[in-house]
Amino acid sequence: MEQSFQQQPLVQPKNWLVESILVTLFCCLPFGIAGIVFASQVNSKFTAGDYAGAAQASKDAGKWTKIGFWIGLGVLIIYIIAIFAFGATAFWAARKDIQYR
Amino acid sequence: MNVYFRSKYIHFIVISITVLFVALLYFFYDARSPNSLLPHCPFHWLTKLYCPGCGTQRALSSLLHGHVKQAVGYNCLAVFSLPFLIYAAIIFTLNVFRKKQIKLQIFYTNWFPKVLLVVVLLFWVLRNIPSYPFNMLAPS
Repeated sequence: MEQSFQQQPLVQPKNWLVESILVTLFCCLPFGIAGIVFASQVNSKFTAGDYAGAAQASKDAGKWTKIGFWIGLGVLIIYIIAIFAFGATAFWAARKDIQYR
Repeated sequence: MNVYFRSKYIHFIVISITVLFVALLYFFYDARSPNSLLPHCPFHWLTKLYCPGCGTQRALSSLLHGHVKQAVGYNCLAVFSLPFLIYAAIIFTLNVFRKKQIKLQIFYTNWFPKVLLVVVLLFWVLRNIPSYPFNMLAPS
């Protein structure tokens, strides 16, 4: 991808808008909104002729969308582990006939 | 060149499998049931406020069962952004299989991301106002 940018500097850089929308909708919202802000900067800077600025905004948009995605995935994995741990504890308690309350 | 195209196909296969898995999960495991074990929004858990994404899982389950009106009630932003996401998915698929690359036209206009930002921020604020016309935006 980066090579093709160097060959053709006038190609509008990827603005990560779709990815930002997905991150916004599937939680971890501040990062998705940051992604939308940078996506808007990519477009407006490119039309204004600020190609370096557009490329930088594209990089930032990608960064925040990826941070949002990985944090979202991390929260999901921690959640699944917690559910399994809770379920296993409950199962163990039921088998041992232990009551915690 | 070859490596680039191969990574593109791997991308496509991984995304397709993920989408299919998520669709099957939300079809057979209903997010609408009150004791569902699907993850809850960490923002809502921390602040008791709704984020722009709250209700997306329930909306997904109701959409997959054909209840569009109910899905709009859970998260209308998710439902109304669906046509754009489907459009993006179609263009992405075409770009994987064809040499000629198409750009997502509206996503690269000056106004679309700005309008979207305003809509998302307004939606976030308005759905937390607990009185009549606005509480229709909260997940229910």
